[in-house]
Amino acid sequence: MNNIPLEYYIALSGILFTIGTLGVILRRNAIIVFMSLEIMLNSVNLAFISFARYLGDTSGEIFVFFVMAVAAAESAIGLAIILALFRKKQTIYVDEVNVLKH
Amino acid sequence: MYLTTFGIVLVFFIVGALFVAVGLFTAALVRPKNPTPEKLRTYESGEIPMGSPWIQFNNRFYIIGLAYIIFDVELVLLFPWSVVYKTLGWYSFIAMVIFLMILIIGLVYDWAKGYLEWDKPNPVIPQLNELIIHRKKVNKEN
Amino acid sequence: MTITQSYLNNLMASVGYFAPEIAIVVTFIVAILFDLMFKKSKNIAAYISIIGLIITGFILSGNIGISKSLFDGLIVVDPYSTFFKFLFLITTILIMVMSLSYKELYDNNRKVGEYYSMLVGITFGMFLLASAVNLITIYLSIEILSLSSYVLAGYTKEIRRASEASLKYVIYGSLSSGIMVYGMSLLYGATMTLDVAKINVAILSGHVELFPIIIGGLMILVGFGYKMSAVPFHYWTPDVYEGAPITITSYLSVASKAAGFAVFIRFFKDLYLLPATSDINIWNTISNFHWQTIVAVLSVLTMTVGNFVALWQENVKRLLAYSSIAHAGYILMAVVVMTNVGITSILLYFVFYMIMNLGAFFVAQLFANKIGSDDLKDYIGLGYRSPVLAVLMTVFLISLTGLPPTAGFIGKFYIFTAVLDKGFVWLAVIGVLNSVVSLFYYAKIFRNMFLRSVADDTKNNFKFSAPAFPLSIAYVLAFATILFGLYFSPILNWAENSVTMFK
Repeated sequence: MNNIPLEYYIALSGILFTIGTLGVILRRNAIIVFMSLEIMLNSVNLAFISFARYLGDTSGEIFVFFVMAVAAAESAIGLAIILALFRKKQTIYVDEVNVLKH
Repeated sequence: MYLTTFGIVLVFFIVGALFVAVGLFTAALVRPKNPTPEKLRTYESGEIPMGSPWIQFNNRFYIIGLAYIIFDVELVLLFPWSVVYKTLGWYSFIAMVIFLMILIIGLVYDWAKGYLEWDKPNPVIPQLNELIIHRKKVNKEN
Repeated sequence: MTITQSYLNNLMASVGYFAPEIAIVVTFIVAILFDLMFKKSKNIAAYISIIGLIITGFILSGNIGISKSLFDGLIVVDPYSTFFKFLFLITTILIMVMSLSYKELYDNNRKVGEYYSMLVGITFGMFLLASAVNLITIYLSIEILSLSSYVLAGYTKEIRRASEASLKYVIYGSLSSGIMVYGMSLLYGATMTLDVAKINVAILSGHVELFPIIIGGLMILVGFGYKMSAVPFHYWTPDVYEGAPITITSYLSVASKAAGFAVFIRFFKDLYLLPATSDINIWNTISNFHWQTIVAVLSVLTMTVGNFVALWQENVKRLLAYSSIAHAGYILMAVVVMTNVGITSILLYFVFYMIMNLGAFFVAQLFANKIGSDDLKDYIGLGYRSPVLAVLMTVFLISLTGLPPTAGFIGKFYIFTAVLDKGFVWLAVIGVLNSVVSLFYYAKIFRNMFLRSVADDTKNNFKFSAPAFPLSIAYVLAFATILFGLYFSPILNWAENSVTMFK
């Protein structure tokens, strides 16, 4: 059996990245926005891992560890901010958060 | 070819989907149809379900969850360390001790600020006056 | 074994040059722990942070003039990064001192320990960012900087606009950093290395795919542009600047922006310019792709949008936010040139911009302490109610406009000289026209303070001034603004010496 070529992984990561970006831009629910951010970062991880595997270079894999750690910190802070906002104004919908004018 | 690699997966998916579909379809043909309200109710270990399932959980679940996420995922950085630990010796050991110390300070912070406490609500013992007022209220509402 | 040994020796030798950053981390931890232990004294974290950062300054002065690559090429210490580090340190210390007299921060008996420790955390991120030359360190330091700023933007969480600013900041920030890190993965895939200098070598060798490098570079530009709040990545700026506590607003508009520029200049200089040349015609290592044009368009967009939208603002914080976007545009003009003269003018501009922008925000904060509002209409008559503060504000506004004899004039003069030097006359003309536009909205604040009659209701008519200590800081900043407008050669020399390693 042959290995799956690099292009397939990169295409998958590109698709995931697009889904994540669109999710962040289009969804209104803040929790889902953060889930979409996680999808974006995971697509980055997939790209890094497959490049590293394909090129035989480990530094890409190291990058993935850091991306994972940062993603956790980012979503923790994001959720904490959502929690603070929810206590103030009983909503998690981004478009209902609009005291500041545009 | 790559096709064979994916082909096996594809065949697996198709067979799996067919298996479920055929099973459900035959069951629908054979089984008697006799729905009663009791059968249609959500199953909750034999209890009769009360209220809406869309309730909000206590905020504290989120706070504990957030703290957990951080400490859980930071441990991922231990994996690359464990690979090079033997070659680099004391240097890597000290580096990791410092890293973990900083994490522990974070935990200490959480602890000292009381975010890890699950504060139990004080049981309110009903007083006689309150009972009377409550009864009056109930009567008025009725 | 010998390879490992030499690697270890390299790491050990690096720790000494890394001492300023270590000092900051120690300050951070000590501040948090002392804040936990001494719950009685409110400001203990503030004092520890200020003292720790001053000590860091002394340690950092040992790195002056040193050029060295640390930790196997993860970061470098060079005059360029040291210049920016001093800028960050001074800004942070000033902001901390200003925060001590900020009423909104101390309202509701709020705990402020985390506020000061988070400021130290931001400083750490900016220190790393100024000297990062590896994609991992660039990403990590941007995230350290961003995560702390998200928290600080929403620090006054009882106030709804603060939480809202924080939410917008975290969503936009995570989005742009996600795009940036995807660009990094493309660069890595195309060149097989994370080291910026090695990527440059790989591009020059000509054996790489150019398409992912261009796309990756553009995606990374999104991340940097977000930190610099360049149009069209500026959409978060007005909301966050209006919602956040005013001290944090001024901090983000100076330090965070400077950090973005520091990494932007180093990254693109190292990655897309031929080494050992400062010839403007070889801006691009990739033929047929004009980074220079892209940055020029970005610059024109940034200053034009910033200035014109500022004309309609009714809130002083928001007005200053748009003005800071416009200033990013002026600075980007010099990035277009990217010669040593251009980078020198950027460094010079940042020193002056720090002084005058912090000053303007600080006076706005002192006003807000008394009148409890940032609205432009509430500034009417302040020239009579508080003449001292209003005059100080005027000095900063003149400097922000770029009129002599202030520091702002000198900064702009050097940027325009650098731009004209390389023949970008059209860019310089747009810059000057924009400065004229900026005069209108700065004058609007001035007019409201001095030239409009005081409203009739007497309840808002009391005279006031600021307490002696904050007032003296404002005096020092105003004095520096005028002094550097007349005598600035030491800073110019320092800036010139800081860019010598960019050949």
